[in-house]
Amino acid sequence: MIQFARSAARGGSYSETIGVLVIAAVFVVPWITENPMVYSLANQMLIAITAAFSVYIMLRMNLMTFAVPTFMAIGGYTVAMLGLRHGVTDVLLLGLASFVVPALFALPLGALVLRLTGVYFVLVTFVLTEITQLVLFETPGLTGGSNGLVGMPAVTFFGIELGDNRAVLQVTIGLALVGAIVTAVVTRGLRQHFAAIEENELLAQSLGLVVWHYKAFGFVIAAGVSGLAGFALVNMLLTAHPTSFSALSSVNYIAYTIIGGKSSMLGPIVGGALLIWAGDIFALRGEYSQFLFGFLIVVVVLLARDGIVGTIYRLGVRAVSRRTSSRKSPSAALGVPNAMEPLK
Amino acid sequence: MTAESINRGGGALLEVASISKRFGGLHVFNDVSFAIPPGEVLGVIGPNGAGKTTLINVICGMLPPTSGNVRLDGKDMTGKPLHVTSRMGIVRSFQQTNTFRTATVRENISRAVRFSGGGEQVSKTIAPLIDQFELEPQLDEQSDKLPYGLQKMLGLILACAVRPKVLLLDEPAAGLERRERLRVDAFVSHARTELGCGVLIVEHDMDLVRRLCPKIMVLDSGRVLAEGPPAEVLARKDVIDAYLGAVDEEAA
Amino acid sequence: MQGFVATGLIGISLGAQYALLALGFTLIFGILGVVNFAHGGFYVLGGYLAYSLVTYLGAPYAAAVVGAALGTTALGYLFERFVLDRLIDDHLATLMLTLGLYMMMSSGILVMFGPQSPSFTFPLTGVIRGYGFYLPIENLVVLGVCIVGILSIYGLIYHTDFGRALRALADDRAVATAQGLRPTVLFPAAFALATGLAGLTGALVTPILSLAPHVGDPVLATSFLIVILGGLGSVGGATVAAFLVGMVEAFSAVYLGGSKGALALFVLVLIMLVVKPSGLFGHRVRGA
Repeated sequence: MIQFARSAARGGSYSETIGVLVIAAVFVVPWITENPMVYSLANQMLIAITAAFSVYIMLRMNLMTFAVPTFMAIGGYTVAMLGLRHGVTDVLLLGLASFVVPALFALPLGALVLRLTGVYFVLVTFVLTEITQLVLFETPGLTGGSNGLVGMPAVTFFGIELGDNRAVLQVTIGLALVGAIVTAVVTRGLRQHFAAIEENELLAQSLGLVVWHYKAFGFVIAAGVSGLAGFALVNMLLTAHPTSFSALSSVNYIAYTIIGGKSSMLGPIVGGALLIWAGDIFALRGEYSQFLFGFLIVVVVLLARDGIVGTIYRLGVRAVSRRTSSRKSPSAALGVPNAMEPLK
Repeated sequence: MTAESINRGGGALLEVASISKRFGGLHVFNDVSFAIPPGEVLGVIGPNGAGKTTLINVICGMLPPTSGNVRLDGKDMTGKPLHVTSRMGIVRSFQQTNTFRTATVRENISRAVRFSGGGEQVSKTIAPLIDQFELEPQLDEQSDKLPYGLQKMLGLILACAVRPKVLLLDEPAAGLERRERLRVDAFVSHARTELGCGVLIVEHDMDLVRRLCPKIMVLDSGRVLAEGPPAEVLARKDVIDAYLGAVDEEAA
Repeated sequence: MQGFVATGLIGISLGAQYALLALGFTLIFGILGVVNFAHGGFYVLGGYLAYSLVTYLGAPYAAAVVGAALGTTALGYLFERFVLDRLIDDHLATLMLTLGLYMMMSSGILVMFGPQSPSFTFPLTGVIRGYGFYLPIENLVVLGVCIVGILSIYGLIYHTDFGRALRALADDRAVATAQGLRPTVLFPAAFALATGLAGLTGALVTPILSLAPHVGDPVLATSFLIVILGGLGSVGGATVAAFLVGMVEAFSAVYLGGSKGALALFVLVLIMLVVKPSGLFGHRVRGA
């Protein structure tokens, strides 16, 4: 009997595992160095990567979300409020809150917008991110307005205060790791569903898939992951301030994912790390790096659709196939047979 | 093929009552009614732009009708979303983009089974089709590497994997070479007899229509021009005029 | 009462500007299926082009406005023809391409002109006072030009062959192409028309409101709001919604204070999405 009920997962299922391991490996950094510059860079990279994961989850279904800063803000401000006003400092509780609260906000919004065509999603999330700053400024009673919420108490882990630089980085790594695990589990577990929606949503529907359920689920998870990034950001600054969650940053997170590669979980990791590093090492001022990112997006979309990671993967696969020169059938997935390749 | 077709009990009666579709000022079709009992085949023909594809779109729920209703075994399905009608048994095929191109054949079928909530027993129903179209050696091939004709057949198999009670086939033979068209016959026969489905076929290939459809309906400018057995209908002057000599166009 | 009428007139004036912008945006979406993220960028570019022509070439303002519109038209044409057209059927790709363009445009402007608002003022000053109302002449002129622009677009879309061709492509590209209409010629033209309009509006409005590298963002957001309210792809809907938005913005700015207007509009959009997602005049909307 031909097996169909269990789908055959194709290659590339390693990228999620590798991705999680890469993030986990960053725990080595606070062990081997105390350099504050390294810490700062690592913090920025991990926050960028976590935010990029959020974009990645939605892009797996061909949906472009601009709402990452909004949910980062919800996560970050929730944590700040819990710390400042209610004295909650336990990092595990705060971490949970930073995931769950944005996810709860995403639920009704997702149910509303994701039943419509994908364009509405883009438009609404863009407007959402544009007014996030506005809302934060206009509700000083809740959010501290233009001052933000300053002077958060340090988070604690089973009573131990995590106040110094090393501990802050460790918290960031922990949050990024949780974000990575969640992203890995969801995108791997729902790989076939997301891929079907990405490639041919109409066909998926006609085969009985309730597409908007999966889109909404992805959106809720992505919001939670953004919330984790927001917590890390607020924890690093010990302040929740509107300028941390600008509309501009949404475009950057999208850039990291697209340039790094939107077809693999390693894409946001590579994109976030590389572009944060580029912005830092070359001491590019904000506008120059924006220009570069915009240019790279155009280049990637026109020439290398799967970004850096995808291009490396494709070149690597091609190199391996040339060496082994084994092909099952004329319709090898790697392209036109090369006349110079040795015959089997 | 007689009216008392073999029904394994899997099909359901499709009744379409006075449906019309209008887009703004444009009348796509008006007051169309027909019924397809389980195991029977209805051909729908007509010149391009007569509203045939829109008719399928309306019946399966992709578009709501402006008026009229659609019933499956008496249950009202009018305007229900596509995934609901599919799960209830009204399954359509697409003219283009009928498979997940970058997925393997096996993945395609597994998705169809999974998305429709099916299980192991579905393999039994489609295994004969896989044999018939000699797809077994290609199961792990990426589906867009298959020859076009086989891709179309795969699309039909996917529709079957959803356990349909009524099949709406949108130009299943379009783009197929002459000898490949007989595969459509095999498919329709399987659907009718093994699954007990009623089948609606929108087609331009008159030979195929004559072979497979004991009854056909001609749609022209949005209204039903004629209905009846193909031999009769295709001989009518008004039908021939509507096609302006294109009646045998797809025979080549 | 005086305040009420004055606010109403500002609302209409804003509405006309938004209508011109939203029409361009909705044309691109309706005909090409492209969500033009660079729309706000062309608006800002129009402003800076006019500013540069006036300041560095000493051109008269009216000529500078025309120059700015021509510049954005040309840039839009080239971008569509050589970049967007390659991937015109992939909606996510075209969205990302226009996003990339926007990033380059706004950061490019920031690099060239610096973050401060340059001094760019409307050449006509003065106020018309009447029975219980007052209206600055600059608003009146802009209103006039916008109305002429809107009427011209309607004339173009509904009463010329070019417009008919565009509408046919928007309705059903396959059928239109089969009947001989050529997207490779018409698409760049349509895109260029929209970007030219954005540039024109920018050149006219920025001396009144403000010119700075970042003023494109709210323009884009407002265009989005308008097309959701009016119905994606609907020209009539975009116009009506634009005036609605202009009014809401004017009145909430005056009577509610702060930027609550934007918030009010967003809430309005969410309500619309619940009640009638296809907007005031749109149709196909249901996706998944």
